Amino acid sequence: MKPLRLLALLGSICFLLAGLAPPAAAFCGFYVSQADASLYNQASQVVIARDRDRTILTLANDYQGNAQDFALVVPVPVEITEEQVNVGDPKVLTRLDEFSAPRLVEYFDEDPCNPYIYNSAPGRGAADTSAPIPEAAERDREQSLGVTIEASFSVGEYDILILSAKESSGLETWLRENDYNIPRGASRVLQPYIRQEFKFFVAKVNLEEFDRSAFQSLRPLQIAYESPRFMLPIRLGMLNAKGDQDLIVYILTPSGRVEVSNYRTVPIASNVNVPEFVEEEFGAFYKAMFQKSYETEKKEVAFLEYAWDMSWCDPCAANPLTPEELRQAGVFWLGNNNGGDRRLPPTPGPQNVYITRLHVRYARNKFPEDLGFQTTGNRENYQGRYVIQRPYRGEMDCDAATDYREYVRDRQEQELDTVVKLTGWEKSDLRSKVDWLDEPQQKPDPEPWWRDIWNR
Amino acid sequence: MFKDARDAQIAFLGMFLVLGISTRDWTIQPGLMAAIAASCLLTQWLAQVVIPKLQGQVIKLWQLPPSWKSALITALGLCLLLRGNHYWSMALAGVVAIASKFLLRVGNKHFFNPANFGIIVALTLTPDAWVSPGQWGTQAWYLLLFLGAGGLVLKWVGRWETSAAFLCTYAGLEAVRYAWLGWTADVYLHKLMSGSLLLFALFMVTDPRSIPNARQARVVWAVLVAWLTFLLQEEFFLTTGMFWALFVLAPLTPVLDRIWSAPQFQFTASKESTPLTT
Repeated sequence: MKPLRLLALLGSICFLLAGLAPPAAAFCGFYVSQADASLYNQASQVVIARDRDRTILTLANDYQGNAQDFALVVPVPVEITEEQVNVGDPKVLTRLDEFSAPRLVEYFDEDPCNPYIYNSAPGRGAADTSAPIPEAAERDREQSLGVTIEASFSVGEYDILILSAKESSGLETWLRENDYNIPRGASRVLQPYIRQEFKFFVAKVNLEEFDRSAFQSLRPLQIAYESPRFMLPIRLGMLNAKGDQDLIVYILTPSGRVEVSNYRTVPIASNVNVPEFVEEEFGAFYKAMFQKSYETEKKEVAFLEYAWDMSWCDPCAANPLTPEELRQAGVFWLGNNNGGDRRLPPTPGPQNVYITRLHVRYARNKFPEDLGFQTTGNRENYQGRYVIQRPYRGEMDCDAATDYREYVRDRQEQELDTVVKLTGWEKSDLRSKVDWLDEPQQKPDPEPWWRDIWNR
Repeated sequence: MFKDARDAQIAFLGMFLVLGISTRDWTIQPGLMAAIAASCLLTQWLAQVVIPKLQGQVIKLWQLPPSWKSALITALGLCLLLRGNHYWSMALAGVVAIASKFLLRVGNKHFFNPANFGIIVALTLTPDAWVSPGQWGTQAWYLLLFLGAGGLVLKWVGRWETSAAFLCTYAGLEAVRYAWLGWTADVYLHKLMSGSLLLFALFMVTDPRSIPNARQARVVWAVLVAWLTFLLQEEFFLTTGMFWALFVLAPLTPVLDRIWSAPQFQFTASKESTPLTT
């Protein structure tokens, strides 16, 4: 039997592109680092592009095991046909992740003795195949179990079945008999979906296709459907979950922010000044901060990490997605102008796409209901942004310098307190990491200033 | 403690607002709340002071409108529930909420809940207004606080059966649905333990001035609102189902008042003639 990863939607191959994004500069500080999805071991990533009742759902896949063992079962609210399924490009997930990840920015203090100096750095800004494989001989068995194969087709490296069922026990039995090793108790969770006339989108890897393709990992699956239900089923995925699960949902709409309708949506702490050492451990800092916030909020809220009009960013953790990349992410309302009018430059202008990045860490006891969403007209931008204010460390020779040092040391103390408060880390452990701006260089043996430069 | 029930209601709604803003990360800004309050109170003043004066009544132009407390309650209700990005969206909600009391009347009684009317108009006519059903979360102590405060006000104005009929019907319908679907009890409880639902049931569905006068009529009416709320939420997946249900069924009030007649509710205690205040 194949171990099944129910709703194991997953993360992009972040390592492929990590580090390639050039540092960008903007008015809101110089971008230095980000806390992207690769921080979390088992973070599912989902893209939902939605306009009115139309939805394109992208299930990213960071499945780490053997491709032959992979299987996915997702309840979908309507029947899905072959042409509503696509295999997407994993790079799009990486791009969305980088664009929207919590970011670390830095500012530089001016020389208090020459306050007119100001440093300004230059800104830098699927092929589908089909091979229906009906299994005529098994039809009787399906009927006796009340399971109907509504559609069966292959797309890219995936073999896909769309199932409908009359009874949850029949569906559970059918899945077991067909080598899907679903956890005990699955039928109890399957039943509500069956009663609500959901279909089941079941995907396995077609090994021949997978071996033939040049891809080393499974690509994201995309499903287009039309339904007034705006939700994400998370209950099935909890069946074989160990501990808390992380889910990052990127929701793209033409109107504005999306919020969770049946849980609180809480913006993650942002725009706080943190010590300089956070640059080296920004990932660890963000992870600890997220965990602390999660616990403070009693583990029962969804966190907002980013909400922004996708035609710009400030500061940019990565360049805004091009219209073509947005289309690959499922945005279907931009119009089809690929390759059309060549006189128009491919500039990312206003695109009428608004992104909401929600980060949900959930467990069965605190998230009993599937996630419901609602689109709002809220276009107020929001980002998880952490600021390093770099002290001026050059030579200072004026009266203002003493006051400045004192001011900076107070500031450094406050920054330290902020980190302790946000992460729960021990202050005593952090003290030595701070590069304190000390009293005047009363070095016992001052070296001539020219000695270092020729390195003799 | 309070001279009339409106004072208690203002105190409680004000407390919820302070609580929400300080502990629940709401996005509402002071400027937007000011826009709501100003538009509500000014419209009330226009309707109760300026227009009567223009019509020749002897009235001082700079006096408080007689029902300024009701306008403030409407403003607080809108601040608690309505969200938006622009001043004019919020002001529109405030103006139409109060104006509905004077323009949409049968006999001498308005039948739309003013705040609810303002919310529906803002949701429909502006691009940016929305309500956040999940904004209170499901923590028990908020629910207990709402129940306690709501219970006090309802006892005072004698409309507790309206809340009870609404909540029982809604909870009953959801119970049947969740049991039929096969969800466990905790899923059902999570659905019901919503701060927004309780606030709606205790403070909006029970507005004594706009709902039916007779007790039987109120029970029938509350059951209908609960049923429609359930239908809109579960069959049409409308997260704002309860506001739409109340809006759609509000015009039924004059009809029910005709079927079951009873004296109209007055806030001022001296003229009180409603059944449960004695």
